[in-house]
Amino acid sequence: MLTQRVANMVFTVLVIIACGYFAVVAQGFEAAGLLASSGLPSRFFPQLLLGFTALCAAVVLYVYAVKGEAGDEGQTVFASSAEARRGLLALGAAVVSYIVWQNFGYIAMALTSGPLLCLAMGVRNPAVYGVVLALAASVYLVFTQLLGTQF
Amino acid sequence: MFDAAAVGVAFANLLDPFTMILLVTGILLGLVIGILPGLGPPIAIALALPFTFYMEAVPSLILLLAIYNAAIYGGSISAIAVGIPGTGAAIATVMDGHAMYKQGRGGEALGLSLTGSIIGGLVSVLCLTFIAPVLAQVAIKFGPREFLAISIFGLVVVVRVAGANLFKGLLVGGLGIFLTTWGLDELNGAERYTFGTYHLYEGIPLVPFLVGIFAVSEVLIGAEKALKRIEFDKTSLTVKIPGLKTLSRLKGNLARSSLLGTIIGIIPGEGAAVGAFFAYSEEKRRSKEPERFGTGIPEGIVAPETANNATVGGALVPTLTLGVPGSPAAAVLLGAFLIQGLAPGPTLFDERPDIMYSLFLGLFFINILLFFIGLFAIRFAAMLIKVPMTVIVPTVLLLSFTGIYAVSNSLFNVGVLLAAGVLGYVVRKLGYSIAPLSIGFVLGPILENSLRQSITIADGSTAEFFNTPIGLGIYAALALTILWGPISTWVRSRMAGKVEDP
Repeated sequence: MLTQRVANMVFTVLVIIACGYFAVVAQGFEAAGLLASSGLPSRFFPQLLLGFTALCAAVVLYVYAVKGEAGDEGQTVFASSAEARRGLLALGAAVVSYIVWQNFGYIAMALTSGPLLCLAMGVRNPAVYGVVLALAASVYLVFTQLLGTQF
Repeated sequence: MFDAAAVGVAFANLLDPFTMILLVTGILLGLVIGILPGLGPPIAIALALPFTFYMEAVPSLILLLAIYNAAIYGGSISAIAVGIPGTGAAIATVMDGHAMYKQGRGGEALGLSLTGSIIGGLVSVLCLTFIAPVLAQVAIKFGPREFLAISIFGLVVVVRVAGANLFKGLLVGGLGIFLTTWGLDELNGAERYTFGTYHLYEGIPLVPFLVGIFAVSEVLIGAEKALKRIEFDKTSLTVKIPGLKTLSRLKGNLARSSLLGTIIGIIPGEGAAVGAFFAYSEEKRRSKEPERFGTGIPEGIVAPETANNATVGGALVPTLTLGVPGSPAAAVLLGAFLIQGLAPGPTLFDERPDIMYSLFLGLFFINILLFFIGLFAIRFAAMLIKVPMTVIVPTVLLLSFTGIYAVSNSLFNVGVLLAAGVLGYVVRKLGYSIAPLSIGFVLGPILENSLRQSITIADGSTAEFFNTPIGLGIYAALALTILWGPISTWVRSRMAGKVEDP
């Protein structure tokens, strides 16, 4: 299983790289016309924060690299492979639902997101699928009939 | 300062049948969401936010406050009945509450938690009613340097209590603030991280971000544990309200926990969970028989339950007077104010005292009604613990998607919700707390504007930058907060050394 140590080290390295990228992007901020000379430049605060965040990430990286833990010794990111599978599949189902909405509309998303998530969680009981679809229909009705939302 | 006309308007607002219906609905919804393990007050408020878009300010805020209060209390029901806290605020209640339930005294435990919650809630509302207008009068004199000090204080405090590792907290706090720099620069119109899309001109929207961070990340974590069955014995669920003799014995505990909860709520960034733990530890420390804590004694239920509900009124003090959220739930509540076109802060007390008094009076009503609704509804509401995560997860995700779209009519905002949810999920899986991330995101604009204005005012002079007695007081309090732990440990070790020396 993926340990907290490895996952955190990868995460902090990614944060440091992202901080560097965003700091370079910030160099290109240009103020509009007459306001350009007023006060501190626009890049000041984002770059200050990126520096701060990268510094914290570096400290966390150092702690994991040298000490091997930060109050989470021996812990893994997921308790078991089954939990990892369910969590990551649910994440995938949520993203797919959003793509379905973008391409096929709200009703298609409302009809597919529930069953997709149930599948991701490994649900085998058909009654659960039925309840989830019934609740999706009631969410649709509440928003369209009660609140007047147009999808 | 006291505005009788505004109080009259507030009464009229509250006695409006629609507002009363929303108040009762909010209590029931809050109870339901609080009972369901994993769904705490921030998620409860976040899920209800889209509905408030269609309402007037007072009814919508009353609905959310009712949900906030009832959700904190609701968490204790599952903590007592099944030993699984419905909310983080009820974690401390599990120890004695569930132990009492297993002894067949569940009704007594539920009665104690209900009574404690109501007393804590009422005391904190009383404090809010008297402190908030006074603080608003002081805060109206605050300039950028004072707001900078308050924001730094709030952020550092939330980072300290949020997790074991300070730098992990600071990292996500910094990330939260950084994300608020996206969009047009308010001071000089520069485009920052807009990536060529007009959707980002106004920056990352607050409400989708917060709903994503709290609700969507919780949904994904809930999906991992979806198939675990909750065993539940519904015997001994009839609430038994403690008698006067018991209350008289617990009066010191109730008073201390109410005040502790209120004070901890006032400190920006601290939440109900911290208040509950603090009160529990304090009562255990004061007790002549500390070893009995955890075995199912009334003191162990009353202390955390009184304190966690007392944090509600406390958390609203900085939220309403300074616009600095007192807890993650209050951060989401700020979003509700923004939806209504209201900017919480000292000027709001001058501009809309009717709304402020409506909220204060509304909180009194909420606590009193929560008592009666809790008394009759607990037995039925507790059955909700049986609702499986496999039903909750898809429904909450669909509600989040639909609600965010309904507020903004923008699929882009749904994308922000999802992205924030994924971010929240990743950082939570890696052992980071999402409290600094959310509070950082709310405080970001205040921090940036006040820092840039403070630097401009100081004109390069460090002395001028810190030439603010109130700001220095806040920085001193911050230093004390940070150093208190190490100092007290050092003093204790010295004292222990002296005792051992002879």
